[in-house]
Amino acid sequence: MEKNKTFNRKKILIFFTCMAVFMMVLTGRLVYLMIFCSEYYGQKAEDLHERERSIKAERGKIIDAAGKILADNRAVCTISVIHSQIKEPEKIIKVLSKELGLTENEVRKRVEKVSSIEKVKSNVDKEIGDTIRNYGLAGVKIDEDYKRYYPFDSLASKVLGFTGGDNQGIIGLEVIYEKYLKGIDGKILTLTDARGVEIEDAGERRQEPITGNDLHVSLDSNIQEYVQQAALRALQTKSANSVSIIVMNPQNGEIYSMVNVPEFNLNDPFTLNIEVPDNLTQKQLQDLRNQMWRNQCINDTYEPGSTFKIITSAAGLEEKVVKLDDTFNCPGYKIVEDRKIRCHKVTGHGPETFVEGIMNSCNPVFIEVGLRLGVDNFYKYFKQFGLLGKTNIDLPGEANTIMHNKKNVGIVELATISFGQSFQITPIQLATTASSLINGGNRITPHFGVNVTGKNKELVKKFSYDVTENIVSDETSETLRFLLEKVVSKGTGKNAFIEGYEIGGKTATSQTLPRSAKKYISSFIGFAPADHPQVLALVIINNPQGIYYGGTIAAPVAKEIFENILPYLGVDKK
Amino acid sequence: MNLRPSGSSEAKQKKFFDYSLMFIVIFLVCFGLVMLYSTSSYSGQVKHGDPAHYLKKQLAATGLGIVAMIAISKINYHFWKHFALLGYISSIVLSTLVFFIGREVNGSKRWIYLGPISFQPSEFAKLAVILFLAYVISKSAKSMTSISGMIKVILLALPIVGLVGKNNLSSAIIILGIAVVLIFVASPKYKQFIMIAGVGIIFITIFLSIESYRLERLKVWRNPENYEKGYQTLQGLYAIGSGGLFGKGLGESMQKLGFIPEAQNDMIFSIICEELGLFGAVCVIMLFLLLVWRFMVIANNAKDLFGALLVVGVMAHISIQVILNISVVTNTIPNTGIILPFISYGGTSVSFLLAEMGLALSVSNGIRFE
Repeated sequence: MEKNKTFNRKKILIFFTCMAVFMMVLTGRLVYLMIFCSEYYGQKAEDLHERERSIKAERGKIIDAAGKILADNRAVCTISVIHSQIKEPEKIIKVLSKELGLTENEVRKRVEKVSSIEKVKSNVDKEIGDTIRNYGLAGVKIDEDYKRYYPFDSLASKVLGFTGGDNQGIIGLEVIYEKYLKGIDGKILTLTDARGVEIEDAGERRQEPITGNDLHVSLDSNIQEYVQQAALRALQTKSANSVSIIVMNPQNGEIYSMVNVPEFNLNDPFTLNIEVPDNLTQKQLQDLRNQMWRNQCINDTYEPGSTFKIITSAAGLEEKVVKLDDTFNCPGYKIVEDRKIRCHKVTGHGPETFVEGIMNSCNPVFIEVGLRLGVDNFYKYFKQFGLLGKTNIDLPGEANTIMHNKKNVGIVELATISFGQSFQITPIQLATTASSLINGGNRITPHFGVNVTGKNKELVKKFSYDVTENIVSDETSETLRFLLEKVVSKGTGKNAFIEGYEIGGKTATSQTLPRSAKKYISSFIGFAPADHPQVLALVIINNPQGIYYGGTIAAPVAKEIFENILPYLGVDKK
Repeated sequence: MNLRPSGSSEAKQKKFFDYSLMFIVIFLVCFGLVMLYSTSSYSGQVKHGDPAHYLKKQLAATGLGIVAMIAISKINYHFWKHFALLGYISSIVLSTLVFFIGREVNGSKRWIYLGPISFQPSEFAKLAVILFLAYVISKSAKSMTSISGMIKVILLALPIVGLVGKNNLSSAIIILGIAVVLIFVASPKYKQFIMIAGVGIIFITIFLSIESYRLERLKVWRNPENYEKGYQTLQGLYAIGSGGLFGKGLGESMQKLGFIPEAQNDMIFSIICEELGLFGAVCVIMLFLLLVWRFMVIANNAKDLFGALLVVGVMAHISIQVILNISVVTNTIPNTGIILPFISYGGTSVSFLLAEMGLALSVSNGIRFE
């Protein structure tokens, strides 16, 4: 038997030493991994274990000038399924499709999808959520959050706008002030195993959602409600397509009311407000919805017609090409180049001063003024008045003014522009420009947003808007107010006259394109009190049936509105 | 246990039994069972509906192993000389058999199933190689001075290395390592071993390049986060890294909850790191070092070369396997399936390891203080 020799022992020791060294090296490696890389790997592991569920933040309210809440929130539920926790898929599919009003196939797709968490439906009423919760189905998660709620349903629908499934603004003020209204979503962080199953008693970390800030707007629900009723009456009695009314403060641009009837229900914005045949495609339905959501005061342009004579007058007076006592003669038409342009009074107004010309809304007078101004001057004032751009109102999708390219404007075009035809502007542009001309010459920015307040009513942001001063002289502005007061007290706008108030205004009747369709837009723009205007209203009746003269059908609407809101706004009778 | 009556010729000699070794082994086994339960209860619950599923199987194998250990420790190790050749041949047969009747698990045929009992021939092969080579070398110790003698021994080991290596590279490396260490200890030479090391490196390179998936392993090793196959490694690193100095506490591992696939097998050390921290991990390494040190003491004092070589074989087996496992788990070397002795789940492994401990204890029993 071989003995264990000394060299054997030595070699065993060498081997042991080698192994010991290896183990020390590995210990060093462990020190490196567990101390120096600990944070890195630990964080990665935590990211892996944590599942995140968001808690929707409450959206800020929209509050009107009278302190009433126009847009609020209501508790709703989001229903989701967690694939790995589902025990009875068929039962879940049945219950969810029944309670949520979805088809079984839609629900099945969600239930059978292999993902950690799958949303089935959001904005489910709280009662329905509670019902589903009571079934006690494993793998069905009911999270409560908030849905936008509009207490006044359809009031100012096209101004306020509504929100989508993720509580994001889709149209209107909800879009423009998204950044203030939208809060910061909270999170629930839970630990889960590799299958996504939450670990009990691991506790959860919550990051509380932060409620959005409240938006205060100049819109006054009392005025808006009243104006909406007046608009609806006009819509019905005149069987018009639509009626749009803007009521604003001509001094600072605050809009008190913006009505576009028919409005739609903000709490159900996807249901059309008109009867439609059943066989429409999804695309056709969506087109109709987009049409329904349009804010005609801002998104659409029209030929202003005679109300534009305010602008022609302002330009003429400012350029001093016309004085109040200048005399004109109207034979019922005016020949410009080879064209005979008619006055609305076929028999003619005969000899008249400029004051009488505007009271009569006489086209030949204004053609003459326009021709005296010339293209260059006219365009200079358009630009100076801010008419060629947008008003920058705080609503999305404002349409641009559609005006002739200056170098294409001949004498005939110049003549038609002078009395408000052959180009298009938005109602808000007309109301804003008229406001700016009569308020002493300060071009204001029309707006709704006044300020934003936080949770504790503290001021977060006060909005300020651009004002361009001296777009016309004080003197011209004053003259304009005097002229327009005459239009209401003695001229075409007399249907807007209210005993005890001095009201200025201008009527218009414009024919829409194509002229052969014999469709009209009747409008009236008025302001009060005439010497120091505090409120301006623009009434536009689109395609009225029967009598279509602005002075006959639009001016009474304005009168009705003024009669009610002037006392409300604290404008006393003289 | 050392109280049995001594032979008359040895009456004045004190007998020795290495209790330290036995206690270290028992401690390791118990610690292993606790860690195995902590690690496997989640997957036991999920896959088998019983959190103690793996623990129960491991307990049975451990019980068997402890009986074997005690029995073998009481038998004079020279008795096993008679079985050296038989063991060698049956190991070749079993390793061949596994190709035909083996059951494929995770793409490798490593298990033979006999009814409810599964058996891993490669674990048996390690023991068989230790016994056979210790026997052969101790019989022809003088030839270990020549290169040809050494090559002969290596050639004896190669069939098993090749057969096992086909399915289980890491076990093959361990078997080859055992053979090299045995020759190294038995031979008085040094220079030759530098050559053998060179041959070993060439051998491993050939092995790696034979099959492309092994080269891919190298790429995965460098950047585990870029490869799908690096998932397990990366998850192991997450577990190790999130352990920190003192760990999350026993049972508190997150990574064992399905993030590390089959954490109770190869990757159990990463869960030890996560739950017990650097402190616990270093303790485990020290425990293994202590174990290997006891082997050295026994081998150095063994009565004869056969006994010394038996213990050196066991020592090589345990130390190489521990180092490879921890290297893999810490991504120090490319991933290869290798389990941590006494702690990882694996019935065959723990049974045969305990049998090897029995051998070492038996050798320690033969030590005589004069």
